[in-house]
Parts: sequence; C-alpha cells; structure tokens
Amino acid sequence: MRAFIFLVKFSYRNLWRAPKRTLIMLLSLAIGTGFIIWDLNFANSGSKEVMKEFLTQYAGEYHVTHRNYYNEENKKEFDIFQTFSDAEIQDKSILATSTRRVTAPVFVSGEKKTLGVLLTGIEPERERALTALPRAVNAGRFLDPEGQREIILGKRLARRIDVKIGDRVAVIGQALDGSIANDLMTVVGLLDFGGGDLEESLAFTQIQGAQEFLAMAPDRVHQRVDFNMKDDSTPVLPGLAVTHWAEILPEIGVSVQFVDNFTWIVSFIIVLVISLGLSNTLMITFFEREQEFQTLNIIGAKTSWVAKALMIEVFLLGTLAVIIGAGLGHVATTLCYYFPVDLQLFTGGQPIIMGGLIIQPLVRFYPIMAYYWKVPLLIYFFLGSTMIYPLIRVIRRSKNAI
Amino acid sequence: MQFELVNVEKVYQASEETKVYGARNVNLKIAESDFMALVGPSGSGKTTILNLIAGLILPTLGTLRHGTSDITALSLEERTKHRLDYMGFIFQDYQLLPILTAAENVEFPLQLKGFSQGEIKDRVTWALAQVGLETMGHRFPKQLSGGQQQRVSIARAIAGKPQLILADEPTANLDSKTAQEIIELFKKLNQDYKLTFVFSTHDQRLIDQVKTVHYVKDGQISETRTHHA
Repeated sequence: MRAFIFLVKFSYRNLWRAPKRTLIMLLSLAIGTGFIIWDLNFANSGSKEVMKEFLTQYAGEYHVTHRNYYNEENKKEFDIFQTFSDAEIQDKSILATSTRRVTAPVFVSGEKKTLGVLLTGIEPERERALTALPRAVNAGRFLDPEGQREIILGKRLARRIDVKIGDRVAVIGQALDGSIANDLMTVVGLLDFGGGDLEESLAFTQIQGAQEFLAMAPDRVHQRVDFNMKDDSTPVLPGLAVTHWAEILPEIGVSVQFVDNFTWIVSFIIVLVISLGLSNTLMITFFEREQEFQTLNIIGAKTSWVAKALMIEVFLLGTLAVIIGAGLGHVATTLCYYFPVDLQLFTGGQPIIMGGLIIQPLVRFYPIMAYYWKVPLLIYFFLGSTMIYPLIRVIRRSKNAI
Repeated sequence: MQFELVNVEKVYQASEETKVYGARNVNLKIAESDFMALVGPSGSGKTTILNLIAGLILPTLGTLRHGTSDITALSLEERTKHRLDYMGFIFQDYQLLPILTAAENVEFPLQLKGFSQGEIKDRVTWALAQVGLETMGHRFPKQLSGGQQQRVSIARAIAGKPQLILADEPTANLDSKTAQEIIELFKKLNQDYKLTFVFSTHDQRLIDQVKTVHYVKDGQISETRTHHA
C-alpha cells in the first residue's frame, strides 16, 4: 500500500511537471466530456419532449384494447368488431389518465365528392383535458360535449370534398351488427395539422353518436388511450391488450432511436478526435522523459513499474477531466432545465411536423444519470487506447545503458 | 561477494562487415571495499565495461558473475532487480528526478526495495547526513547547485548500502573545488563504510585517489596500476 501511495504521488507530480500542457489536455478532455453529457441530455430530452408533444396531441402513450383489436403482425391494421368495456379493466387507476375512443373507417360525402377517412368518436371534455386536439381546430370550434351529430374534419379533407363550417356531410360505414351505418353530420370545425397527411384522413365526432352510428352499446369502445407521460412503461391488464405507441407508430419510434444512436456516434467521434490529439501530446510528453525512464530502469525500477506510473498518470488526468467535465455538463444541463431551449431555433423558426402533426416544443433538459458514468467510461476507454502506443515505445526504449 | 568479468567481449555489429569492439577479452575482479577507476579517453570502452558490470548490456562472449551467480543468465527484469538489490549508480549529469525533493530522490530506490517507512526515514537521514545535505532534503533538484545535486545522487546511491557503486564520470560536470570535495566524500565513504566504488573517469584528481586504476584502450584493459596508501 505504501509503495502504491508513493507510485501515485510520483505520477501525480509528473502530471503537473508541465502545468500548461497538462491544463490544455485536461481542459480539452473536460470540455469534451461536458459537451457530450450536455449533448446526450439534449438529444434525450429533445426526443422525449418532441415525443411528448407529439403523443399528447392525439396518439397517446399506449392504447388499451380488446386483445384481438390490433393485428399482431401489423399494428396499423385493426378489427372494429373487437370491442371492450371499462368493466373489463381491473386496474381502475388508468381511467384517470385516459380517454375512450371509437374508431371506424367510413366514407364522408360532401356536395361533390366522397372520400374514405378514419372517423373517431371521442369524449370532447376528456380530450380537452388530456390532449392538444382542441388546439388543432383553427376554424369553427371543437366538439360540444352535449352536441349531437357534429363532426370536425381535417382542413385538406374539407377542401377536397368542398365543405365548409355549417355544411352537412353524409357518413357511411360498416355497423357492427352487419348493417350499413349512415348518418348526416354537421361540420363544426376544421383541423390544422400543418398540412400533413392527417388533415386528409381524420374526422372526429362525439363518442355517443359514433357508438349509435356503429350500432355499439354505450359502454363498448375500441380504445382507451392513455396520456400518462410520466411513466414510459405499459401496464399489464389481464384479458386486454396494452399497446405502446412505438408499436402503433414504429416509424416515429425508429426516428427517435436514430437521434439517440446518432448522438452516441457523434460522441464517439468527438472523443476519438480529442483522443488522437491527446495521443500526440502524450507521445511527446513521454519521449521527452525517455532519458529519465532509462535512469529509473538503471537504478532498479522495472519496466512494469514505469508503465504503471505512466498509466496512473493518465488515469489521474482522465479522472480529473471527467470530474470537471461531468460538473460542466451538469451545470449546462441544469441551466437548460431552468431556461428551456426552443427547438425552432434550429429550424429557422419553422414548425416541426412529425407524423402529420405540428410540434412546437420547448425542450427542458433532464439530466440522465446513466450518462454520468457511461461518458466517463467512454473517455477512459479512449484514453486507455490513446496511451497504448506511447507506452509500448517507452517500454521498448527503456532497456538502455548508462 | 565479488563481482567478476571473465573473458568478456562485447561486439557491436555496425554492418555485416563492420564490427566494433566495445569490450575485448576483459577480465576484471571487483572485491569488497575496492576503490577502482576505469580510465581512458572517450570511446575507449570504459563506459561499456561499466554497463557490462551493471548488467545493463550483455556480453557477446564471456561471463558476468556476482559471487556464484551468473548475471548473463538472468532475464532483463531479474537483472533490474539485481541492480536494485546490489548496486548504486552515480551519473555525470546527476540524473535526479526533478519532480521529487532531494529526500524523495534518495527514498526512491528504497521504496522500490520495499523497506519499511521507519527504515526508509533512517536511511534517508543517514545518507543525506553523509553527503552534508541533512538540512536540504526538502529542496527540489532545481533549487540545488550542481555539486549539491551530485551529493544527492551519491546519497541515493549509498542509501541502500549496496555492495557496489558504479559512477560514470562523477566529477566531469563539477568545478574544481566541488569536484575535490566530491572525491573526498567518495574516499570517506569507502574508508568509513567499506563501500565499493568503480569509477569511469579521466579526472586525474580522482585517478590519484583510487586504489586501483585500469587503463582501457580499444575495449581492452591495457594496464593496471595499484596505489598503495
């Protein structure tokens, strides 16, 4: 132990024998570490905030359905004959953070044209409390909870079938009793999704009207869509299916994963570039002390002792750098928690359109604890790799004479 | 235990045809408390012989012995350990570690040997006192004069009380007065503690003080003279 303490003291003093050089190495590593931690927190928080913004608009965190409602192979396909009621849900806590929906593909006819759309029966008050759907109505109004046979349409859909606020449209579909469902509904509002495809394919009405239209009992629904964004996990509900948004919208999940992975790749590249610079500096530092290493060897220090001293020196440098870097990264992240970043700064003020919806998130950075050990590990790994060549050179050349 | 070079030859192969003899047919016995100098002009081979004695380089032919041990049969790391256990070194340019204080420089080989903290403290104090630097242990090498640095180097070499101290041109970088003081110090250590010294030198003042002088020419010991006190 005493010998080890001497070794550490020796390495620490050597680390500071050229203080300016050490400070530059230390700062480059620390700033790199801090930036990577901040960047990963940014990417993670950014993804989460964008997703939260996207999911709260309409899609929800997960869907509770009859176990055969979604096609197991392709969650884009669903079977409208598979319904369930709240009585089948054992964990009633879900009811507080979710809303009921009835969904069916229908034809909507205006004066001149008929188009196929997805009609969703919703609970207007619950939607207003849980989702951003009412905010997407930019003409007319949102559905009246007490109203009957009201419909809101995507802006593009209304334009294509040539209807406006106050017009009536004919809705035709497949009722669950085998009959042809048909009704007349009044257009009360138009939805603006930033011109995305959803504007042409979605229509909403009150859930009671939709249930009557589809010949469903009032307690039967297709989905209970949950908006509990605090917990990313899906609950287990016996007898029912719980489907996470990433399964329903895999293309969105993949893009979020891409952002995360890409940030890690950028982090690797940053550390690699810093490491290459450090390798060169370490090589110069080691070579400058070559004669000293030879002296150490002559007076009895084994090559392994010299190698250990150098490794400890680099380890101390790395440890100091990651401590300072983690501190810097944390301070920067915390600042961006209290002063959220508007993502439109990166889009020239243009709104972000995701999955056919307009996203306007302010990204509040949340520190992810895992980054505070993963990034230092990455730094240690590259730093360790960085010193291999200089170390081999030192070991090879230390076997010398007076 | 005595150190011995038996029929030692060291050849440096400059090219396929060109061979350079660093040492040739060297036979040398170093007994306990010897005070000996290898003398010769630059390039004569005296430093090569010093390196051979230390086991820093291996002979092309011949044997290096320490007592009954064959040094040439030891591995590189074993030879390093052998040097640590039995030898001390003094260099022309002192070769102190700049990041360690004088006392820590003296302590360095003792730490490598694994001595206890108490023993290290006693030996460092003793060694620094022998070289007259007992009050300067806390100073770093750059805070010491050349003569003082060489004294620290001597303290480092003697602290482990080795069986053999090898000194390469120990007075070459010192002014006349300091060189004389250092030579007196070597003599005192040899007389008081029976420490064995082998010098590589061409300093006449040192040559005049040693007991045995081996003249080295073209890698060979061409002449040996013994001074009687």
